Amino acid sequence: MPVLTFREALNQAMTEEMERDDRVFLMGEEVAQYDGAYKVSQGMLKKFGPSRIIDTPISEGGFAGIGIGAAMVGLRPIVEFMTFSFSLVAIDQIVNNAANMRYMSGGQFAVPIVFRGSSGMAGCLAATHSHRLEAWYAQIPGLTVVLPGTPADAKGLLKSAIRSDDPVVFIEHEVLYHEKGEVPEGEHVVPIGKADIKREGSDVTLITYSRSLKATLAAAEKLAEEGIDAEVVDIRTIRPLDLDTLLTSIGKTHRGVIVEEDWPYCGLGAGIADRITQAAFDELDAPIRRVAAKDAPIPYNRTLEASMLPSVDRVVAAVKDVMYV
Amino acid sequence: MPIEVTMPKLSPTMETGVIAQWLVKVGDKIKEGDVLADIETDKATMQMKSYDDGTIVHIDHGAGDEVALGQRVMVLAKKNEDPKKVAADLGLGGEAKAAPKAAAQRAEASAPVAAAAASGVASTGGLVADRAGGNGNGNGHPSSDNGQQAAAVPSHGGRVKASPLARKLAASAQVELAGIQGSGPNGRVVRRDVEAYIQAGPSKAATPQAAPTTAAAPIAAQRIPHSRMRKTIAQRMVQAKQTAPEIHLTVDIRVDRLVAAREELNKRLAREGVKLSLGDFVTKAVAMSLRAHPGVNASYEPDAIVRHGEVNIGIAVALPEGLIVPVLHRADTLGLREIRKRSEALAAAARSNNLSGEQLTGSTFTISNLGMFGIRQFDAILNMPEVGILAVGTADKRPVVEGDRLVVGTVMTVTLTADHRAVDGAMAAEFLQTLRGLLEEPTSMLL
Repeated sequence: MPVLTFREALNQAMTEEMERDDRVFLMGEEVAQYDGAYKVSQGMLKKFGPSRIIDTPISEGGFAGIGIGAAMVGLRPIVEFMTFSFSLVAIDQIVNNAANMRYMSGGQFAVPIVFRGSSGMAGCLAATHSHRLEAWYAQIPGLTVVLPGTPADAKGLLKSAIRSDDPVVFIEHEVLYHEKGEVPEGEHVVPIGKADIKREGSDVTLITYSRSLKATLAAAEKLAEEGIDAEVVDIRTIRPLDLDTLLTSIGKTHRGVIVEEDWPYCGLGAGIADRITQAAFDELDAPIRRVAAKDAPIPYNRTLEASMLPSVDRVVAAVKDVMYV
Repeated sequence: MPIEVTMPKLSPTMETGVIAQWLVKVGDKIKEGDVLADIETDKATMQMKSYDDGTIVHIDHGAGDEVALGQRVMVLAKKNEDPKKVAADLGLGGEAKAAPKAAAQRAEASAPVAAAAASGVASTGGLVADRAGGNGNGNGHPSSDNGQQAAAVPSHGGRVKASPLARKLAASAQVELAGIQGSGPNGRVVRRDVEAYIQAGPSKAATPQAAPTTAAAPIAAQRIPHSRMRKTIAQRMVQAKQTAPEIHLTVDIRVDRLVAAREELNKRLAREGVKLSLGDFVTKAVAMSLRAHPGVNASYEPDAIVRHGEVNIGIAVALPEGLIVPVLHRADTLGLREIRKRSEALAAAARSNNLSGEQLTGSTFTISNLGMFGIRQFDAILNMPEVGILAVGTADKRPVVEGDRLVVGTVMTVTLTADHRAVDGAMAAEFLQTLRGLLEEPTSMLL
């Protein structure tokens, strides 16, 4: 199986889907001439030409709206935000128009669009460029929200996202772009709404996604040295949540720790913990613990920023807490 | 002069009260009407309220203590008095610790956290809340770890802390959580504690079980100490059976018309969200029949029979821990709608342990209804000093002889238990005749 970087896997997914379906096009800041701010669209202008790989001005609200309009009349746009921190100026288009058009038009219009781009705390980007907005978008009925954590999932889920008849918020993590992993060739499609058990275990369920998967898997290995057998569930799709897989795992381990780069208050883990508690209260031997980013703006200083993140040590401590050891 | 607060009479029959938990502690400033403690009376757990303003300088008894009516439970310093001086005058010293009596030392432990402390855990002032995330505005205050801060939540009395899974395991193995030493934070009983307890169980008990073919989980015998309510039920049932020569009279009542009338009325009442039960009609009819037969609405006293002026119907309500009889006052003056609403309110108050003293006293006759369980007929035991209690069974379809034909009719069987010292057979029968007439021809209740 070929080994690709995360960005190559995304490039492959878009290229294959554009070859398969000529309604698919890519639009965003510097996606064409510059080959993408993070080189995700490398070579695509050359391959597909300027009518399908379109550079836009710095105007997220404008080109998000153009994409939604194009989707309403039958095209399948991929709108790239250089980072999802900039999607904040387009959030009205995404929430009010993309998410609600099918409902408000009584089913007359569908919006088959993908909003994708980088996000997260990626090193010295400071408070305004380090946002993790997954919980914001995941709250909106009408949106599908996907956060892959491996190159293979990135490719398979992006292909599913492009094929979806409804808007998908596809959030990549900037520090993952250079991560390498095996990626199946050709028709590799990962279904939306399906979690993946990245490591099996019996003592505690670690629930995570995107970049935090790495720290969580490392924590699981460290815990194994101490005789604690952790199961790691990568939820991959944030909305709709694969609650079945989570409940099956919790039913086995009776303990859960959620690891997320999101902020703690009203964060994604709060919603997931609530769903688990409602459905499986009697299975829990301990309150569900969350390891999240600390509750403060993200600092520019590299050391301070690192201290905000869910670390291996913090995950291990939370696991010991729910294990009562 | 400081105020001596004594054990109040919170139920008409109580002689002592058990302090379930203190809701105040030494040093608290209290006002008239503040709730001081939960008191278990022979009937129910009631709130003990303050009749005075002042500062608590001393508490005589800890949670779990049984205190006789009128006995002092605490001392209050009045507004113009120095609490320290009052305490010193009591011989307690400024710290209220130097008291020679054991009771005074218990007073130290009588704050609401006492239970946690008593279970052998260093008291941290209560549970540590689930550290589910800091929720400041996030500006410049990253919290110590996880962005998650611990906050103290007050603990509740002697509640056993256990994880949900531990509760489930204990319930399925039929072991009591209270007997298990918890190893989690603040003494929380967790899965491993229950499993260890169950494993240790059979060897402790050393009871050779008749070995069934499959290895069942060991089921330990349970010993449930009498609650106040259980003691009261036992004492009053025995008293009734030993004192009153009972007679039982049973009658079948054809309720087809009543069922139809109920449906009709419930259609009208649907808008108000009121749904009458057959039991409400029985309550109404019983109240009217008692008005017509005052000899059944009575008490037997050594030198006289007291016929009561009011018709107050006690309605037996089953609770998980026993049984309680809240009272529907002057039920004969109430319409069906009002009977439904008040019965519902009484049952809800009974289940949430919120009955007032008035709601528990003054009944002149009691109804016990087991119809909802499909019971056709049973005999109830008198609720002394009343002389009658009606046991109401289920209304179901039964073969009925009508003239010389056999037809299907809806029939309800009721049984009156009467104290023959006050109620003779004929009087009891007449009462039932009236009741039957009202229920078979519900429109006659309008007359």
